[in-house]
Amino acid sequence: MSVATTRRGAQRGRVPLAVIALLAGLALLAALPYLLGTYWQQLGFRALQLFTLAVAWNLLAGYAGQVSLGTGAFVGLGAYAFALLGNATGAPLPLLLLAAGAVAALFAIIVSPGLFRLRGLYFTIGSLALAEALRILMVNLSTFGGASGIVLQASTPPFYALYWLALVVALVAGGIVVALLHSPASLALRAVRDDEDVARQMGVRSFRVKLGAFALAAFLTGVAGGLQALKLGAIEPYGAFGMAWTIDTVAVVIIGGIATRGGPLLGTLLYVALGELLRDLPELHNAIGGLFLLLVIRLAPQGVWGLVTGRWAQRPGLAERADG
Amino acid sequence: MHLPDGLTLLQAVVSGLLIGGLFALAALGLSLVVGVVRIVNLMHGELVLLGAYVAYGLVQATGLNALLVAPLAALAVALLGWPIERFVLQPVVRHGEEAPLLTTFALSVIIQNLLVFLLGADTRSIDSGYGATRLQLGGVSVPMMYLVGFVVALIVCACVHLLITRTAFGRRIRASAENPGDAAVVGVPVRRLYALTFMLAAGVAGLGGALLGMVFSFTPSSGVEYLLTGFTVVVLGGLGSVVGTLVGGLALGLVESFAAAFLGDGYRLFVGLVAFLVFLALRPAGLFGRRA
Repeated sequence: MSVATTRRGAQRGRVPLAVIALLAGLALLAALPYLLGTYWQQLGFRALQLFTLAVAWNLLAGYAGQVSLGTGAFVGLGAYAFALLGNATGAPLPLLLLAAGAVAALFAIIVSPGLFRLRGLYFTIGSLALAEALRILMVNLSTFGGASGIVLQASTPPFYALYWLALVVALVAGGIVVALLHSPASLALRAVRDDEDVARQMGVRSFRVKLGAFALAAFLTGVAGGLQALKLGAIEPYGAFGMAWTIDTVAVVIIGGIATRGGPLLGTLLYVALGELLRDLPELHNAIGGLFLLLVIRLAPQGVWGLVTGRWAQRPGLAERADG
Repeated sequence: MHLPDGLTLLQAVVSGLLIGGLFALAALGLSLVVGVVRIVNLMHGELVLLGAYVAYGLVQATGLNALLVAPLAALAVALLGWPIERFVLQPVVRHGEEAPLLTTFALSVIIQNLLVFLLGADTRSIDSGYGATRLQLGGVSVPMMYLVGFVVALIVCACVHLLITRTAFGRRIRASAENPGDAAVVGVPVRRLYALTFMLAAGVAGLGGALLGMVFSFTPSSGVEYLLTGFTVVVLGGLGSVVGTLVGGLALGLVESFAAAFLGDGYRLFVGLVAFLVFLALRPAGLFGRRA
């Protein structure tokens, strides 16, 4: 009896502590613009945006098992939707960001019947081809400004406002995905990831499950793209649809730890820190990022998060679940 | 969109087929690696690109004819292929299929950025020595380099075909591709064979890159373009035979050439990618769907 009460008591004592830590962390994040200058606000914006992309990709690749290399396509779609709709309607920012996400999600839904015929590695190649095709189309199509892109009519907000906006987006993205992973839907996701055929036989509607994850990931990625358009004030297809988005996102999640809760956050912090260390040598930063990626895949399939929490030995890694 | 006349169409057919030969050459290595080593190699484009850069560097340094140094570029890329397969890819193969895929992705990122870091992001092209010499055939006129590239591509494809179908080495490759377990049981050194196949694939890719670099300009980020062109060729032609790859290359050359004639040059790659996606969606068994 005494053991039970002690344990329960300890738990009772721990929960408020965690909540307090979380609230303190949030307050600190929210207050950052009052504490630090525009340089750090910009860096914070970049980190929060990358975190949003990472959360979306971790859901799609880590939990739904659909390893996409099409992140750039959805960032670009979000950025263009944000710019075009903003210039046409002058709607308020939150609405435009939602619309940016919606357009990206709609595109995901439209291409899903074709793309989901491809399983495993073919989905990966298909998503890469799709993203490249879209980029080339946007460069050549004069309708949306062609290679020179579009200038936003609305003025760019100050850095602190961008930062707060990105903070809200990142928190909502993280919140949605954490809630999803605590819901029964999480089981369906993992079932499809681990063995789609068996999952189907057990009555999991695998197409719907994959589509749900794909559309949600596309939505969050599109919102992050909308943020980019707002930050830049002008967009062009090479950057908005660029492979760099895909590379950064994949690197963040794999280095942090794919299919782990903390992976995207830890990966973002490490990747942004690496970028800061090699600030004057962006190409070298990317090359070293690639090298880290290589080492993590080989030595720590559950990423740095897996190493830190030490749970990588108990959990099925990248390896075991792909074998099945 | 504008409707081209008959002569323009004929021109598109001729140049499309000629360039298609080069596409086949550049894709042959990908077909080998996917089919035999069973790694979906996302760094294939960078192997092709490295061939182009090495050939470019050799021409700049020695002033020799580009076609003479192209085999050296192929050799250099082949030699790079061995440690990559042996020490980077082989150890992660047992981690399932995603690990090698993402490892080749990481390698492509590393090579791409090292190229920018060391050589800059400039667009380059290799002087083939033929300059603007054009081949006149009736009313059709194509750059001489197209024909030269096509002939070299055919010869190399024929050599690889003979190597795979007529030699002991090729028999071992085919055995390992069909069933690596059984091949190992009857004494085929499968792991060493994988490394050798990867080297061969890298060498052919490097040669393809050197020739492509004489026809089209390239930048450090051209790899993804070569990679997707390679996948398109492999999917169009089916995996597992050199002849199939050649047919796939010619088909893609025609498709892209017509796209350029009807829609404009900028749509060349776009239409190729759409053809790829449609084909992939129609044949989801895709690359491994041979001898099922």
